[in-house]
Amino acid sequence: MRKIIHIDMDAFYASVEQRDDPSLRGKPVVVAWRGQRSVVCAASYEARVYGVRSAMPALRAERLCPDAIFVPPDFTRYRAVSRQIREIFLGHTDLVEPLSLDEAYLDVTTPRSDLGSATAIARRIREQIRETTALTASAGVAPNKFLAKIASDWNKPDGLFVIKPEAVEAFLTPLPVGRIPGVGKVMDGKLAALGLRTMGDLRGWTVEALEQAFGRYGRRLHELARGIDLHRVMPDRPVQSISAEDTFATDLALEALEAPIRELAPKVWAATRKTDRIGRTVVLKLKTNDFRILTRSFTPGHVLRSEEELVDIALALRERVTLPASTRYRLVGVGMANFREADEVAPQGALFDA
Amino acid sequence: MRFSLNREALLKPLQQVVGVVERRQTLPVLSNLLVHVGPDGVSFTGTDLEVEMVARTAAEDLVEGEVTIPARKLFDICRALPDGVRVKIEQNGERVAVNAGRSRFTLATLPASEFPTIDNIELVERVTLPEATLKDLMSRTAFAMANQDVRYYLNGLLLDLRDQALRCVATDGHRLALAETKLEAEISARRQIIIPRKGVLELQGLFEAGDGTVDLEFGRNHLRLRRGGVTFTSKLIDGRFPDYEAVIPIGADKDVRVSREELRSALQRAAILSNEKYRGVKLEVSPNKLRIVAHNPEQEEAVEELEARTGVAELSVGFNVNYLMDALAALGGEEILLSLRDAQSSCLLRKVDSDDTRHVIMPLRL
Repeated sequence: MRKIIHIDMDAFYASVEQRDDPSLRGKPVVVAWRGQRSVVCAASYEARVYGVRSAMPALRAERLCPDAIFVPPDFTRYRAVSRQIREIFLGHTDLVEPLSLDEAYLDVTTPRSDLGSATAIARRIREQIRETTALTASAGVAPNKFLAKIASDWNKPDGLFVIKPEAVEAFLTPLPVGRIPGVGKVMDGKLAALGLRTMGDLRGWTVEALEQAFGRYGRRLHELARGIDLHRVMPDRPVQSISAEDTFATDLALEALEAPIRELAPKVWAATRKTDRIGRTVVLKLKTNDFRILTRSFTPGHVLRSEEELVDIALALRERVTLPASTRYRLVGVGMANFREADEVAPQGALFDA
Repeated sequence: MRFSLNREALLKPLQQVVGVVERRQTLPVLSNLLVHVGPDGVSFTGTDLEVEMVARTAAEDLVEGEVTIPARKLFDICRALPDGVRVKIEQNGERVAVNAGRSRFTLATLPASEFPTIDNIELVERVTLPEATLKDLMSRTAFAMANQDVRYYLNGLLLDLRDQALRCVATDGHRLALAETKLEAEISARRQIIIPRKGVLELQGLFEAGDGTVDLEFGRNHLRLRRGGVTFTSKLIDGRFPDYEAVIPIGADKDVRVSREELRSALQRAAILSNEKYRGVKLEVSPNKLRIVAHNPEQEEAVEELEARTGVAELSVGFNVNYLMDALAALGGEEILLSLRDAQSSCLLRKVDSDDTRHVIMPLRL
């Protein structure tokens, strides 16, 4: 069972504008370019009261809410905020799949932070976003992406909603099919025409019947109705580092770490073979029995060629640990970092200086 | 415009010019050949605005005039016609009729006035040399040209005219090839020109075996070469070639003499287990021995050992095996001399008895 968080910034562009210009706070703000064919990029909650929505023609928004303040989008600022929140996510897990500047899936099944539960992580992320950006985000926590996305919308804005695995069925049964991400008016109409208004209704249909009616999407509907979604969180970030670590049953002395290092290095090496990118740096990570974390790293002048080389360097890095010999360690990690595109590493010498 | 000739007489000039015509064109007229009928025969011109090729042939039944005809179609038709058939090409208004035996084709034309030609190249120097020599110089160097490098001046071949000699130099920034020949006649001044890659490849296709001479005409912005019934003209790359003499190592004093053929075949075998991306092999030199070692990511290994004449105590340098093999193929000769310095410095390859051809290869950090 995976633990997925979907984070969605609240009225992102409009909120950034309100944050940066106090005169906009509490007012209906529409982020859109001026122009006949322009569409709304974002609308503040004050504007949404009037029915203004994202992707609506700006002219229509103006008719719905004549008092709205129109602000042209400034993506440089939005991107800067987006980078800030991305960093927050990456503090909790490598598995971050950004959907846009203001929205991302996180797989926190094996998180970086030890906060105990996915719910605690989601809560912490929301706090961190508020602290660093002065903006609010809504979060959904669930066993898969589909449910997490619905959940983040559930208590929006500034909300958190958790769908526990055991609560999935009860949650879904009364859910209108229109809440399925991707089901729009047309699809909703088709489903309604067949008497399919809720997920519970959908569950009453066989996969064959749904496939008959909706083709391949029918199979997907059949799964979603049961809360099944096997789509994985796909981090788009190129590999930055690869590592493996091990916590011991009993704390070990530095010399005794050879065996675990020899066990971890092949895992790391095998994982590095699966990426086109090339890691330049070998990292040894240690945690003492009083929870101090130390890392030692080395970047050889050439690209590592073998598992043996990785093992040798990782073992040798222990010599750079200067804690008293009596120190005991509860964890050791071996990793490769400083990954570059193969072309950037360029082991081929150049005749002319660039 | 009209002319008649037999298929073979037509096919040869078409073959010589059609390669210049690019398949994708920005200007429609560039997909055509300019066909010009004069009092003595017919000429065909193909161009891509950088390289122009004109081929002439005798023909009968001439009516003077000029027009442009789709190059590829005319060539394909001519190629597919039966051997020895007589071909008559005749303009009728905006069309051209091609008649051969019982075949008839009607092709669209564009006016000759739209066709860009290079006329006067503003000649500044003329060099005459044996065709075989020029062909040899180019084949020993052209392989080292860069391809689509941002340093656009590397995407071509340098002709360096100096001290009664003509040098051809090509480099892709990792390795460099140089070949030179003495010239008979005086030259007025040192000149360096860069022929673009495509021009070089077209020119190489033009050479034929024989002991004739060719005239290289250095223009202000062009190079022209006349050979038999063909005139080749290429624009020059407008840029400064790097100071290649500065990268020919002088401190490389660790000499290794080795049989070219033995080294070439050993490298060829070792290359099988070198990393597919970097193509790295390590040359390990010790007294009277050269070892070649290759590894790949699967941890497979190739080791080749060959006899070498060297006093070098111990030296190990990595190279891209393809660069070594290219250089060995271009060098020729029985025995070659590898001059090394250390694992970071370039290597110089040449024949034991001649400096006419030199190859410089930068090492690979393995």
